[in-house]
Amino acid sequence: MGKPVPVAMAQGSSCWGCFQSLVDMHLKLADVLPLLDIKYWQAVVDFKLKDLEGYPDKSIAVGFYEGMARTEEDIHLLKVMREKCSTLIAFGSCSCFGGIPGMANFSTIEECYDAKFRHNKTVNGGEVPTKNVPPIAEVVKPNTDYVEFDVYLPGCPPTSKLILTAVTSLLEGKPMDLPPHAVCHYCKREKKETPISEVLRPYVGQADPKRCLLEQGYICLGSCTWRLCEGPCVNKGATCRGCFGPVPPIMRDHGAASISMLGTYAPMEPDKLVAQVKDPLGTFYRFDYATSHLGRIRIKREDMKKEEHHD
Amino acid sequence: MSQSQNETVVPEHWEPRILAYCCNWCSYAGADLAGTSRIQYPPNARILRVNCTGRIDPEFILAALEMGADGVLVSGCHPGDCHYTSGNLKLRARWALLEKVIEQSGVDPRRVRLQWASASEAQIFADGVKELTEQVRKIGPIRSEWK
Repeated sequence: MGKPVPVAMAQGSSCWGCFQSLVDMHLKLADVLPLLDIKYWQAVVDFKLKDLEGYPDKSIAVGFYEGMARTEEDIHLLKVMREKCSTLIAFGSCSCFGGIPGMANFSTIEECYDAKFRHNKTVNGGEVPTKNVPPIAEVVKPNTDYVEFDVYLPGCPPTSKLILTAVTSLLEGKPMDLPPHAVCHYCKREKKETPISEVLRPYVGQADPKRCLLEQGYICLGSCTWRLCEGPCVNKGATCRGCFGPVPPIMRDHGAASISMLGTYAPMEPDKLVAQVKDPLGTFYRFDYATSHLGRIRIKREDMKKEEHHD
Repeated sequence: MSQSQNETVVPEHWEPRILAYCCNWCSYAGADLAGTSRIQYPPNARILRVNCTGRIDPEFILAALEMGADGVLVSGCHPGDCHYTSGNLKLRARWALLEKVIEQSGVDPRRVRLQWASASEAQIFADGVKELTEQVRKIGPIRSEWK
């Protein structure tokens, strides 16, 4: 192998889970790390933002951006990453679709402040902090609204195996083969053609370990979710929540696809269905509200508000 | 949830733009009959023919709203009368969830309408278009939802 490849890892608003998954490669790290020349990685190597800003444009071969961009700092970091990296990877579902933090768009920023700061159950007389914190955007916009990515690596988090495959093929300059299958492709449960007569909450009853969870009435989004995870949850007995986002083309509306799927499996009386599926927005748009059609309408609404404010 | 029910100012000369998905076997024929029977109804609906309402992915409706359709109408065979036996039942289930999701996300669910109109029910089809057009006219353009 030749010279180590310069890489940069950046984190926006997120939980660090994706990088944890990268570190979880364990012994494989011993093979990978010598090939990398880490130029920036918050909280891991001692480079500051000004170091990253100081590198020549496109001088970093591969950049990973984890998380979405909610604060001004995140947005700045994301744009700097795009300038400095020749290949930029949207690392994880937050970076690809807005992810879990994207669900903040269900509420207004004021409602978020109320829940988090003003009327937080564990705080007395809470206030919204203003000192030493970066300004926050009114609404979660997907990262793709700010910059273009070269590679999307969804998942909450992307599995260590997937990261290893991606990193290896990037370092070797080989194309990645990611077939557009759904999670069901890897699910070992038996499937019969049975329509659902009842939708169950996850805690109700005992699921048959051998049969398809969806057919037993548990909402499993495996059939409309990309299979990059290779089905660990469904094979262990937990329903798929759809964290890898839609099957390619990945910017399609995953929530709409999930609703379509459930409607096909459960052609029951509408009233009964609505009563049994609690919080459909949160269930079907858990990971990709920001890039969905309804999420887009939500963002447009916020943009219009801003425009009016300026007028 | 986070819906701000502002007083919408309906602009002058604004006409609602309605997208109507009609199934080939019932409502599209019903719409045709409405025409040949010279039933008067608003010209606001742009009709798109699909083979069966079961073919309609919720994304079709949401994409239309995002692209600026003020209302979306879906018209199909009566439950039990589907040409393909159960396509409309699948849509009906999707619709129930879709309506809830639209409401939860803060868009007025009165912008979308599901109706059943057979090939002979031209009047029902025309009334449906009229009702949705008037309803949407009251709510205002979809752009007002973006305020």
